[in-house]
Amino acid sequence: MPTSSIRRRLILTMVLTQALLAAGLVFTGVYYTHQRLQSSLDANLHARAMGVAALVRYPEEPGHPLVFENSLVSARDLASGDLFEVTAPGVGVVARSPGWPQDLEIPAGGKAYRKVKVAGIPYRALRLEKVPILDREEAVSSLPSTLTVIYATPKVEMNRQVWRAGVYIALASLIFLGITVLLAVWGIRRGLLPLQDLALEASHVSAQHWDFKSPREAELVAELRPLAEAMETMLHRLHQSFEQQRQFLGNAAHELKTPVAILKSTVQSLLQKPRTSTEYQAGLTQSLEDVERLENLLQGMLRLARAEQWAYGTLKRNLESVDVASTCEDAIEGLRGLANAHHADIKLNAEDGILCRADGEDLQLVWINLLENAVRYSPEGTTVNVKVARNDHKARVVVEDQGPGIPAEELPLIFERFHRGDSSRTREIGGFGLGLAIAKALVEAYGGTITPESAVGQGTRMIVDLPLNLN
Amino acid sequence: MRILIVEDEERLAANIARSFRESAGYAVDVAKDGEDGLFMAESNPYDAILLDLMLPRMDGGQVLRKLRASKQHTPVMVLTARDEKESVVALLNSGADDYLTKPFDLGELLARVKALIRRGKGQASPVLAVGDLQINTVDRTVRRNQRSIVLTAMEYRVLEYMAHRPRAVVSKTELLEHLYDYNWEKFSNVIEVYISGLRRKLNKGSAAPLIHTYRGQGYVLQP
Repeated sequence: MPTSSIRRRLILTMVLTQALLAAGLVFTGVYYTHQRLQSSLDANLHARAMGVAALVRYPEEPGHPLVFENSLVSARDLASGDLFEVTAPGVGVVARSPGWPQDLEIPAGGKAYRKVKVAGIPYRALRLEKVPILDREEAVSSLPSTLTVIYATPKVEMNRQVWRAGVYIALASLIFLGITVLLAVWGIRRGLLPLQDLALEASHVSAQHWDFKSPREAELVAELRPLAEAMETMLHRLHQSFEQQRQFLGNAAHELKTPVAILKSTVQSLLQKPRTSTEYQAGLTQSLEDVERLENLLQGMLRLARAEQWAYGTLKRNLESVDVASTCEDAIEGLRGLANAHHADIKLNAEDGILCRADGEDLQLVWINLLENAVRYSPEGTTVNVKVARNDHKARVVVEDQGPGIPAEELPLIFERFHRGDSSRTREIGGFGLGLAIAKALVEAYGGTITPESAVGQGTRMIVDLPLNLN
Repeated sequence: MRILIVEDEERLAANIARSFRESAGYAVDVAKDGEDGLFMAESNPYDAILLDLMLPRMDGGQVLRKLRASKQHTPVMVLTARDEKESVVALLNSGADDYLTKPFDLGELLARVKALIRRGKGQASPVLAVGDLQINTVDRTVRRNQRSIVLTAMEYRVLEYMAHRPRAVVSKTELLEHLYDYNWEKFSNVIEVYISGLRRKLNKGSAAPLIHTYRGQGYVLQP
């Protein structure tokens, strides 16, 4: 894949815009110079034409034609290639410059100033009509009182000046363009340095080293700050979930070790000496119980992993509508035995027809896990209340016990994997501390929330909100 | 010998206890949580303590530090499910004598605890010798002058305990405390029965007496 460089692009853009600017400057300069020079040339042309016209006077004696003072024509102007022709209506040509070409014709009408070419040289010509003859005192009625003057002067000198101005501006622009490009390269390189610092800092991050502090230089750059901040928060979150996974793995290994140790010690102590068949049978039964315990733990961990996979949306499933109340009923039925053993009762108070899009077995597992906790912590003779109701656009299930409650500082921890309340009670109570974690992962997998409400001595309420299936 | 197992997993504690009772002839007490364990360790003279780390009420590390702070020098074997280097080092530094990570081998646990007890009482060899008497603590056999002596379980336990502390006066109370677990009624006259039985078996074949009575104080095992 071709790589592109921000620096190269910035410099290229910079050079292109600067070059465009320089071209515009040259064009404007040339145009302006041309206009200025041309207007001064035009003024000059007019003055010279009038000057030539002023050289025409009436003859001293009647019957003679108009007189042109040839000797008074500016020799310098003629030398520079000026051409003129003075005509008078009804008389014809009064005077012509020496170099007037026969084929040159500047007809009446049209603009006063116009472009012509004489022998390949560009000229600017002016045709003035009805120029009064100044010599009025001697006016002769038989002769016309006005003249037509055509005056042309070569544009070579003007063009040369325009060209020179153009070259001058272009050269200056090029020099400045060069300087600005150098400055831009330097500035962009310097400006992008914080980006390199940021990349360097980020390259130090690894699974062992999560510390990432965006460099101060990057923090001070407005464009880089969001990037640096995003990197910081992203790394923080990554670190957290990495730690969580690592902790889970550590905890899982730790939790697995104990049942394995029990199983191993059971078998080893059984093998320590020859035993009676009754003893072997008792030992094997124990081993089987140990294995079942191990199996339960593994199953719990797998279920949690599976539920979390859904929660993170890696598995999409076709879900059907499930009646929430009936899943609660099934869960309660499954826990009757445990409740009886604890001399506790479970009561259900459910609205009918509350449907959620979920897997029925998963929901049942959520209720079982919540109820199991509630029943285990219930003092003898108390009741665990389960309420299913519609709440806004949610299905709300509340599992309430009259147990000892959870201290406020422990409340945020109860959903952590392998967390077991006050461990003095829970070991006797059993379980691996995975039930609530599984319940939470499952509820969240279906877009719901689970909120514990508890205070010491006042029992615990677990509130589960699930999105209703409205179709 | 009498040991204390502080372990909240009842099944595991029971298995370890059974193994020590059957294979080593030890008296075994079990505590199910840290507080209980600390109380029992402080109120009974154990020869070794097996301590789990993850305990309800008070964790094993705390129990260990409190024991050591109250000048208890009973050997402590820590049973842990964690095997990170730091925690092991911290454990040993806070007074543990040895540790095993779960799941462990019962045979290894037995051997290590025996070694700890031996070392704690100043003995290096698993075969204890007092004069021409030899007590093998591994297979629990007793010989005198190459002659094998068959003892009852209780007689062996009395002899093994005394052989760990030769030349020291061992009172009847001490013997009772180290040979019976918490749940036994302790009658001091049973000790006299075992001692007389031991004397009879050890002195068979007109060897010099090994067990001497110090009236009002106790017994001494010495050649």
